Amino acid sequence: MSIFTFAFISAAGLLMIGLYTLLVTRNLIKVVVALQILVKGVMLLLIAAGSASGQIALGQSMAITVIVADTIVAVIALSIAVIIRRKFGTLDLNAYTTLKR
Amino acid sequence: MVSVLILTSITLPWIGAILVWAVGNNRPTLQHGIAVGFSLASGFMSASLFLYPSNEMALSIPIGGAFGNFTFVPDGLGVVLAAIAALIGSLAVIFSVDYMRGDRQLGRYYSMVLLFIGSMVGLVLTSNLLLMFVFWEMTALCSYALISFYNDDPKAVTGGIKALIMTQIGGIGLLFGALIAFSSFGSYDISIFLQKANTLPPALLSLTAFSFLVAAAAKSAQFPFQTWLPDAMEAPTPVSALIHAATMVNAGVYLLARFYPAFANVPGWTTAVVWVGVLSALLSAGMALVASDLKRVLAYSTVSQLGYMVYAIGVGGIFASQFHLLSHAVFKALLFLAAGAVIHSVGTRNMNDMGGLGKQMPFVRNVFLIGSLALAGLPFLNGFWSKELILEEGLAHGPLWAFIGMMMGAGLTACYTLKCVWMVFYGDQRTPLHGHDAGHFMKIALFILSIGALTSWVLVGPLGTLMELTLPFHSIKAHSTGEILIEVLTAPATLLALLVIASGFALWVWRNQLSRITDLMTGIAEGARRSFGFEEINTAIVKGTNSIAEFIRNTQTGILSVNILGILVGLVVLLVSIAVLSILGA
Repeated sequence: MSIFTFAFISAAGLLMIGLYTLLVTRNLIKVVVALQILVKGVMLLLIAAGSASGQIALGQSMAITVIVADTIVAVIALSIAVIIRRKFGTLDLNAYTTLKR
Repeated sequence: MVSVLILTSITLPWIGAILVWAVGNNRPTLQHGIAVGFSLASGFMSASLFLYPSNEMALSIPIGGAFGNFTFVPDGLGVVLAAIAALIGSLAVIFSVDYMRGDRQLGRYYSMVLLFIGSMVGLVLTSNLLLMFVFWEMTALCSYALISFYNDDPKAVTGGIKALIMTQIGGIGLLFGALIAFSSFGSYDISIFLQKANTLPPALLSLTAFSFLVAAAAKSAQFPFQTWLPDAMEAPTPVSALIHAATMVNAGVYLLARFYPAFANVPGWTTAVVWVGVLSALLSAGMALVASDLKRVLAYSTVSQLGYMVYAIGVGGIFASQFHLLSHAVFKALLFLAAGAVIHSVGTRNMNDMGGLGKQMPFVRNVFLIGSLALAGLPFLNGFWSKELILEEGLAHGPLWAFIGMMMGAGLTACYTLKCVWMVFYGDQRTPLHGHDAGHFMKIALFILSIGALTSWVLVGPLGTLMELTLPFHSIKAHSTGEILIEVLTAPATLLALLVIASGFALWVWRNQLSRITDLMTGIAEGARRSFGFEEINTAIVKGTNSIAEFIRNTQTGILSVNILGILVGLVVLLVSIAVLSILGA
């Protein structure tokens, strides 16, 4: 198995783990963790695709951009989680659907 | 240089919109200042475009492979409309300084108005169909947000949503045509479309032609979509003057004029355009005669005058339609703003409560009179020249029944205009209203517009030259101002039209003596009051859209797992279809 195949399979695995967690979990912290795993899969995919197509620098710079954006997402999501925990007293997702009719 | 002018006249109002919003509603003086400054700057920039007209691409913004470049062309059609949008926009903003003084949500008001001005300038200058669609939708959004500006009034909210839904029909038509162009020619460029339109299969071309006609009718409030415009009159009056009289509703006429060379040979298309124009002009003139709300009278009259422009395009008079568009934009903005001054002063829109206001507000009466005489088509105001030009084209190139219909429309126009002026400014006071004359900023805007209504016709020669030089696909023959004036004055249509206009006036003056005849018309008047049943069609469309939206709303569960499931299903469908396509392709 070549290094590319390995990277692609690993990325697909990370994506699947992330999506599966999002599908089943109801805990807000776990949702943030699942999002992080999902994005790590995307980064791996970007780097692998970059080196497979011969544009290594492009893939790496895309990955670094994603790292920056991803960190911001994590920070804001966790701070929202803290506020929600204070306001609602729970981290259960189904308790917050107050915007729904 | 040209690219800078185009870019600044679009983006300056947008920067102003952000700034007005950012300084906050606690500093209203600064907000007024920013709005006036940025709209005037944009008006200056777009007026300067007259110095550099061309049919060449002047600005091209690359946005990646899939959509083609976002291109802008300052040709005759675009430059005229851009100048109208930005200049009348800045006058409406100046008027708003008095009209909206003391309002606590100036930020929302001015940012929407400025966003609108920029989008409208972009809409007429771009030569990319996709970008045109984007601007088209942005103007619709601003129109909706400003109609519903007084959002604690249920009528305003309903009117806004109705306008949004009805103009969306137009948006869908435009998008449909744009996609057909892209799939056939691989480009959204309008000049490529005009160049190669004859190579399209006839069925596809007529599909595009008629979907553009639907788009234009919905946007310009033409038959059978005409009832959203009167309901849009809940907007603040400067907005009605700018968006619902002078600019946005002209976008449909602009679309038809722009694509006329491609569609002129489609069987039945020009006839359909003439029908739409005649029916809109006649029906809404009748409705204007029986309406008693001052702004609704003006709205019906706008629909009717837009009908004249559509009719002119149908008979091939592109230049006549654009000239009337210019005249109408000036005198109708004047009428709306003067009506706004009246409404602001007396606090009601019902004409039955007014009367005798002329003594209390002489300045407003005088400018309103100038505007209404131009609307009625009296010599020698701007409305006279452009309307006569349209009627002359109609007599020369159009069917006779349509010409007779438009003549009747001219008579009705004269009649309802006189009625409106009389009920507001003359006669006895029906209720004790205390009017005061307009404020300084209002007077500035009204004065400039009334000068425009008196003199804008001198531009007819230069406009013709401009369009002849920069529109290679339209066959427009330019004449000098003097030639056109003599041509209009000596045409048989003019004398006929003046007689009809005079009899329209007479109909109102001797209404009591003619009561036996007018009594016969009560059935028609009752029909007009009920907008001839078209209100039901429009309401049905709005209701249908709302119930579909309510149904689709059920998919918004707010549950994360359901949404993720949706994403996964979408992913699987995408992968499977890619696999199937690649197997089929191999």
